[in-house]
Amino acid sequence: MGDRQRRRRLAAALAAAGLAFGTAACGSGSGGTGSGDPNTLEVWTRSDPDSAATYDRIFAAFTKKTGIKIDYQPVVNFDQQLQARASTKDLPDVMINDTALMGSYQSQGLLKPIDPESIAGHGQISAKSWSSTVGLDGKHYGIPYSRQAMTLMIRKDWLKKLGLKAPATWQQMLDVAKAFADRDPDGDGKKDTYGIVAPGSAMNGYAAWWGAGFLWQGGAQIIEPDGKGRYRPTMDSAAAVRTVTWMKDNLFCGARGVLQPGAVSAVTGTATNFQDGNAGMYMTGPYNITSFDTTPGKNTYEVVPAPAGPAGSDVLAEGENVYFGARTGKTGQEQALAAFLVSAEGQKIGMTSVDGHQPVVRIPTNSTLDAAKVRGDARWSVVQKAYETASEQFPNAPDFAPIKQDTADSLNALFTYCGSDVRSGLKELNETLAGDLKDQDLLK
Amino acid sequence: MTATVTAPARRRGPSKKAVLPWLFLAPGLLLAVVFKFLPMGKGIWLSFFKVRPFLGDKWVGLDNYTRVLSDHRFQDAIGHTLVLGVGISLGAILVGFLLALLLEGQARSLKIMRTAVFLPVVTATAVVGELWRLMYYPTSDGLVNSALGFLGIGPVPFLDNPDTALWATMVMGIWMAAPYNMVIILAGLAGVDRSLYEAAAMDGVSLWQRLRYITLPAIRPALGVVLTLAAIRGLRVFTEVYVLTGGGPAGSTDVWMTRAYTLGFSRNDLGGASAASVVLLCVTLLLTVTVNYFRKRGDVR
Repeated sequence: MGDRQRRRRLAAALAAAGLAFGTAACGSGSGGTGSGDPNTLEVWTRSDPDSAATYDRIFAAFTKKTGIKIDYQPVVNFDQQLQARASTKDLPDVMINDTALMGSYQSQGLLKPIDPESIAGHGQISAKSWSSTVGLDGKHYGIPYSRQAMTLMIRKDWLKKLGLKAPATWQQMLDVAKAFADRDPDGDGKKDTYGIVAPGSAMNGYAAWWGAGFLWQGGAQIIEPDGKGRYRPTMDSAAAVRTVTWMKDNLFCGARGVLQPGAVSAVTGTATNFQDGNAGMYMTGPYNITSFDTTPGKNTYEVVPAPAGPAGSDVLAEGENVYFGARTGKTGQEQALAAFLVSAEGQKIGMTSVDGHQPVVRIPTNSTLDAAKVRGDARWSVVQKAYETASEQFPNAPDFAPIKQDTADSLNALFTYCGSDVRSGLKELNETLAGDLKDQDLLK
Repeated sequence: MTATVTAPARRRGPSKKAVLPWLFLAPGLLLAVVFKFLPMGKGIWLSFFKVRPFLGDKWVGLDNYTRVLSDHRFQDAIGHTLVLGVGISLGAILVGFLLALLLEGQARSLKIMRTAVFLPVVTATAVVGELWRLMYYPTSDGLVNSALGFLGIGPVPFLDNPDTALWATMVMGIWMAAPYNMVIILAGLAGVDRSLYEAAAMDGVSLWQRLRYITLPAIRPALGVVLTLAAIRGLRVFTEVYVLTGGGPAGSTDVWMTRAYTLGFSRNDLGGASAASVVLLCVTLLLTVTVNYFRKRGDVR
């Protein structure tokens, strides 16, 4: 091999390495163009490509109206990516993500405090919604963007075939679940249907997320505020023991087919039995309505309020807030974007589905709008009513992430081992929760 | 006299010949430093802090390590990691060896079979996990359970029973790793002197004797490579568990890495997660060095 050829190969190798570095540098930075441009906002949402298409429409309308450009990044594994960006101390300007994460973000110093008065149209957001964005220090750290509450999705064709009604109490729900499992509601001559879908895995805290409604309906709380900015764990209460025992004995360890097979290891992504058409009830968020309308089909199911337990029918309310990343110097533009997002115009775009894409605003936080009217779909009034009259949120001021995860770990273990002692299991959980609160200096 | 002659030659500095390999290595080394060693160093550094990027990290000394090592869920995870790591490694070597023996040769049909058998290695773990979740479906509709049904067994809730979930995960791990080992062992088998087999046949030795006294000694270098790789990979098992069970049910398949992941990303405790990862790094390093030591000692003998 001649020297010239060797030199060429060396040059090629170095050029390739340079290219690799260049590509890597592009991929690892804050991403996209113009993040340093004062008239461009970098915005992150926790969205898959389907929801991102709706956000694209919202941001296009905003840019058209204000001239402020948006460098938009839909991020599926939002928290991991955000922690990675936080470690470089370079956060997105605006983020839209779950309300329950506010305490976690604030405790890490990731958020800029917000003065509600500085957001144009702030008066159109209800005081209830604004109160859910107050942090431990009494300042607001988010702007309410979208809200939702869980409802019961139930196969109306199965109910009709078996001559049953949508359940209004736990016992009725159990009876319907058993009928769905035993009386062949799909008429195929096989025992291959199930009553209720439950994402009961501890992964990402699902068991606590799905089980929270039952806890509240049974009169139990995971933690309780003492009114002076501190909290106490309450999972050792008689109501909690009673409720978790009922769930274990009747749902997870009850008659065959009350829950779908594999419920203790299911997450929302794998608990697809309602869509697959082999389970009849699913207590879940209204974001599923769009996909359920395709399968099992709009005419096959109805949306009803959650069946009531001994203490009521409260379900989990969730939502998303607009957050401003700490230490960015584009406050004016950020406020303009937030004002557009919560305006009637912005929320309407977010609530409508174009080309079958997922809407990103569920129940509007702008009180001048009615979800059912905007969508022309009466089912949304069931969700809106549930949110307004029979829902609770996870506390968002403390860092709820470890509390939710520990509760899920404990519930999942109790539901997995049918011979387990609920009282001692919950006592142990309560001690763990006390430790979590103590770590945050919030234990009463 | 000779020494006085060679000494000035050394002082002339590194020759062009010595520099060239480093020049070729430089891009790779630079990439490794930027994307591997610096983050690794940062991880070790963070393990001594309560991590709060915007409020200032708080020095906590060895607190994160104490917390992680005294957490009963991490202690349980050590057991699961060892069972899974050792089980997958040994199982994959055994199955890989059997596959290699079955698929050794030049025939065209064997090449097709080898390619088919190798597919799990090049398939994304998430896809493999989804596939096995369907195969393990806990009713008689599931592929494995319908097969067991013919034998009058089951249906078995493979992934939903804490007594079977870890073993079910291990079987998937072996299925994924065995073909990789097969390829390395096949390469080793190709180098076995055929005349030895012919001589053994003339001596009338049994199949087991042939394996024990000819095949195994001949492929020892290949087995050494496979063992070293298994030692490195065994303890850091993560994706297989994460996609198949997420550590559940009731933490029965939680391994060291899934716990570290939960600590870092579900509980936002990056300091604790870093400490857990550093402990794993140290144990893996120790295991690799030990395996290598015994391998080299075996080679010398």
